[in-house]
Amino acid sequence: MNLVDTIIQSAHQLPPFPAVIQRALALINDPKSSVSTVVETIQYDQVITANVLRVCNSPYYGLRQSVSSLQEAVIIIGFDPLLEIVLGSVAGSALGEAIPGYDLESGDLWRHSISSALLSQMISQRINRGQDHMVFTAALIHDIGKVMLNTYVKDQFLTIKDLVNTKKISFLTAEKEVLGIDHAELSATIAEQWNFPREITQAIRYHHTPLLAPADKEVVYLIYLSNLIAMLTGIGGGADGLSYAGYDEVMYHFKLEEKDIEKFIAQLGDQIQKVETLIQLQKPVENS
Amino acid sequence: MKKIVGIADMGISQGQGEGLITYSLGSCIGVAIFDPVAQVGGLLHYMLPESQIDPQKAQKNPYMFADTGIPLLFKEAYRYGATKNRIIVKVAGGAQILDESGFFNIGKRNYMALRKILWRNNVLIKAEDIGGQVSRTIRLDLETGKVWIKYSGEGEKEL
Repeated sequence: MNLVDTIIQSAHQLPPFPAVIQRALALINDPKSSVSTVVETIQYDQVITANVLRVCNSPYYGLRQSVSSLQEAVIIIGFDPLLEIVLGSVAGSALGEAIPGYDLESGDLWRHSISSALLSQMISQRINRGQDHMVFTAALIHDIGKVMLNTYVKDQFLTIKDLVNTKKISFLTAEKEVLGIDHAELSATIAEQWNFPREITQAIRYHHTPLLAPADKEVVYLIYLSNLIAMLTGIGGGADGLSYAGYDEVMYHFKLEEKDIEKFIAQLGDQIQKVETLIQLQKPVENS
Repeated sequence: MKKIVGIADMGISQGQGEGLITYSLGSCIGVAIFDPVAQVGGLLHYMLPESQIDPQKAQKNPYMFADTGIPLLFKEAYRYGATKNRIIVKVAGGAQILDESGFFNIGKRNYMALRKILWRNNVLIKAEDIGGQVSRTIRLDLETGKVWIKYSGEGEKEL
């Protein structure tokens, strides 16, 4: 078996993306959803339920009596914090781990992923696209392939880095040249395996090479830009650094200017606390 | 012991005890200042060149921007007994993506803003490590006043 097959094989062994989270994200993002439909979806997930109750009973909400019904808790905290809790529960999986091949410490990839997801919503709003859970999810898991590529990148790091430096190519191109597959391709393969819709898998596959996407340009460009701006801020940045290409066409497509990039960065800077809170949520519930 | 300075944040430390460190500088810039006599060190991690892009956010968090953050960094160090003529300035960050046209040139704009502000105030940069495609961490050692820089994926070296 060659290296690419081995890598894809290992990707097939990833645990499935929790269907409950995929469904919950869709419901929470749909303004027409009722509290009870959302509760019906999430009630079977112990971690989410525990976290919702924990947040609701925290001093922040200042309740006189503690709440033990999930339905009541969701009504009290509302959908926005709920979305964050649901996402926080995903972090218990692969995205929260340290990825030494890319010099990412535990939590770093999660920081970058959440930053990209938040940026995708800011950009959507700016271009009047409205909230979209598909875009949010794509932005959140676009780098999942790095988790699987980790060991191989670590073994070949010097060769990859040398190619980047001498040939002035992107880290992605160097990955492909040395390993036969790059992290965007692998992320897309994983998303396909998780049965994500084509729009998401496309956006993930082309998140560094948006101009090559044969279809769904809108979502592809959105994810590309979200990731790019997250990279610029350096939040959760790793050994590949900023060695990726910038495409003006994407900016022209959305009719955005330099100033808009700075505004997005400022908006994200304002939400860093939120990012950190989400990172904390991945820690196990303490029985205190 | 070292104090972590977050993104869009600033830290000041005095005495030999506590060093300052800031992680993941992409296009952001880290400004480390040190007065060897007063033993005062400061570290700023700003994200953007100019506060006019979002004055409200600048009011809420002046450390997000070069033009509001850098003056505050110096002022805070003065409060601890540092003086302008003794302060040593070292800077790092301002990385860029592979970008031909400059649409995404925040790193360069961040650096230009820094140069402008320091030049206007007659402050020299003692050492710098700017640009490239790397993600950087910088650390100010209060005992020696030395600034250490680390590229992600590589070892630490002195700036």
